[in-house]
Amino acid sequence: MLETRTPAAPERARLVEALIEVAAERGYIDTSVELVVARAGLDRDAFDRHFRGKYDGFLSAWQEINEECMASLMRAYNSEDYWPDRLRAVAIEVVFALRADPSRAAFAVEVLAAGDAARARRDMTMRVLTSLIDAGRQEMDEPERVPHTTAEALAGSAYGQIYAKVVRGDTDGLPQLIPQLMSAAVMPYLGVEAALEELNRGSNMPDRYRRPVAAEPADTSVSQDADYPPELARLPPGRHGLPREFVAHNQRERLIAGLAEAIAENGYAGTTIAHITRHAAVSRRTFYEHFASKDECFVAAYDTVMAELRERVGQAFEQEDDWPRAVKAGIGAMLGFLVAEPNLARLCMVEALVAGPVVVERYDSAIQSFVPYFQSGREGRPADVLERLSATTEEALVGGMMSLISRRIIAGKTAELESLLPDLVEFTLTPYLGSEEAAKVAREG
Amino acid sequence: MEKGYRAVTVADIVRRAGIARNTFYENFSSKEDCFLAASEFAVKEALRRVVDAAAKVETWPGRVNAGLSAFLNYVASEPALARTCIVEALSAGPAAVERYERSIQAFVPLFRMGRKVSPHGEELPGTLEETIIGGIFWIIYQRIIMGQTEQIEELLPELVEFSLTPYLGAEAAKRAAAEQPQATAG
Repeated sequence: MLETRTPAAPERARLVEALIEVAAERGYIDTSVELVVARAGLDRDAFDRHFRGKYDGFLSAWQEINEECMASLMRAYNSEDYWPDRLRAVAIEVVFALRADPSRAAFAVEVLAAGDAARARRDMTMRVLTSLIDAGRQEMDEPERVPHTTAEALAGSAYGQIYAKVVRGDTDGLPQLIPQLMSAAVMPYLGVEAALEELNRGSNMPDRYRRPVAAEPADTSVSQDADYPPELARLPPGRHGLPREFVAHNQRERLIAGLAEAIAENGYAGTTIAHITRHAAVSRRTFYEHFASKDECFVAAYDTVMAELRERVGQAFEQEDDWPRAVKAGIGAMLGFLVAEPNLARLCMVEALVAGPVVVERYDSAIQSFVPYFQSGREGRPADVLERLSATTEEALVGGMMSLISRRIIAGKTAELESLLPDLVEFTLTPYLGSEEAAKVAREG
Repeated sequence: MEKGYRAVTVADIVRRAGIARNTFYENFSSKEDCFLAASEFAVKEALRRVVDAAAKVETWPGRVNAGLSAFLNYVASEPALARTCIVEALSAGPAAVERYERSIQAFVPLFRMGRKVSPHGEELPGTLEETIIGGIFWIIYQRIIMGQTEQIEELLPELVEFSLTPYLGAEAAKRAAAEQPQATAG
């Protein structure tokens, strides 16, 4: 939440966050535009640029929340194949999202005081939820046997039960609702046996994400079903006697690696939390213990990857005394890392540009962090060379280099990145050394 | 309550009721108090009608059918009251939620009897009855919001089927829902 408050965050997003927080604390009636702009660190004019008063601000924020919510419902639903698993992923998404963001949960209650328009927006989301439940009829031999009001009733009832817990501030009690709601939702479509099964599954993710590995005899591992992710073998779930910090650290790293794998497979936009947890072989709950959202996980992954990349480039650069050869070593180390870690390469060079404003800012600062290596090349250059260099030459060189690299990665040629080394060295050294000298360094063995 | 709970003032209420402000405060301490009294009255009255209708029938599925029929009939005849109790309950804060949950609880025993006729009885989800009643409330709520109050009674067969399916299975529930309720008088 602090991220969105930095001055660079778009004004409108800051106002929306502030509105949600103030409304969550004080309710609809006692929320004023003055309180909202004070919280956002902005003035009344800023508010008026984006909203036509308090009511419009509430409805706009609510619209955004509902759109986010609908998108995340669909993503959760699409992260599974079998309908009850899909519905379960939706239920877990809702419950954990409400727990992860109490302000939004409270806002969702308070905003209803804004009247019929607020209810109408909510009910659009409810219709999406209804249609996801109603899809259960496709699992039936006679799909038309169940009345269409059934899904509507189930969705509304789930809403009522969740709403009541949120109003009471009992968001910790929400996971207990999952087996109950799932059982009731499955019953009309798949029958009572399937409903009882859902009840026994508790609040957990679909089975294949949580089967205990340690309990299985080692020699049966080949006969395990195809859905069983091999990543689970990395760390047996349950009581393994490892110190908690180690597990937490390990889980975080696994989630980051899981995110990179999921992104390499599906792209950033197509990646769901379920993809990440499956690749990382941890539970959804564990995900939410470390990160509030996919974006937050991505930012953490990006920072981790860039820190590693900077470290390697820096070390390679320091090992050479001669500046042109130090640049060459630095670029070589960068390409070597990207080739060795194709998933991370894609994450930091390609997906970072489509993952939204928070990461784009970081991408810019990553470019800036490579600038000093080139700037040190200005030392001792003749006056006519220095005159040709502009204040932004280094930035342009890093940007150009990144762009060449990312185009290769997009084209699926990550493995061949090291063949770019001579070209990149020549390209970056030419402004300082002239093309002849630059080409010579570039072609050295 | 056409303005919605939070927008209504005590002045609106006394003007509509044609009484003095003093009279209002002789009877209620606040708007909340008045709202809760209205909803308490409505739930009691609905429950009385449902129980009366159900008592005239022998079998449990028949009781659900008759009880629901009486309930829908009452809601359709008192749309403003229904709006107050059902629609506003999900937007009027903690006290209203308390009330909403208590009205659901009031009807739970009628449905819970179904566990005796179900082969799965107590294995069924503990909140099944709340889910069924909450679902019925939601459907009614949606129809009121969309201004389809007159069509509420037409929902009877679908809602009976929805209520009975978990206990009797789909086939028997559909058969029971197709029967005319034996007692519709309120």
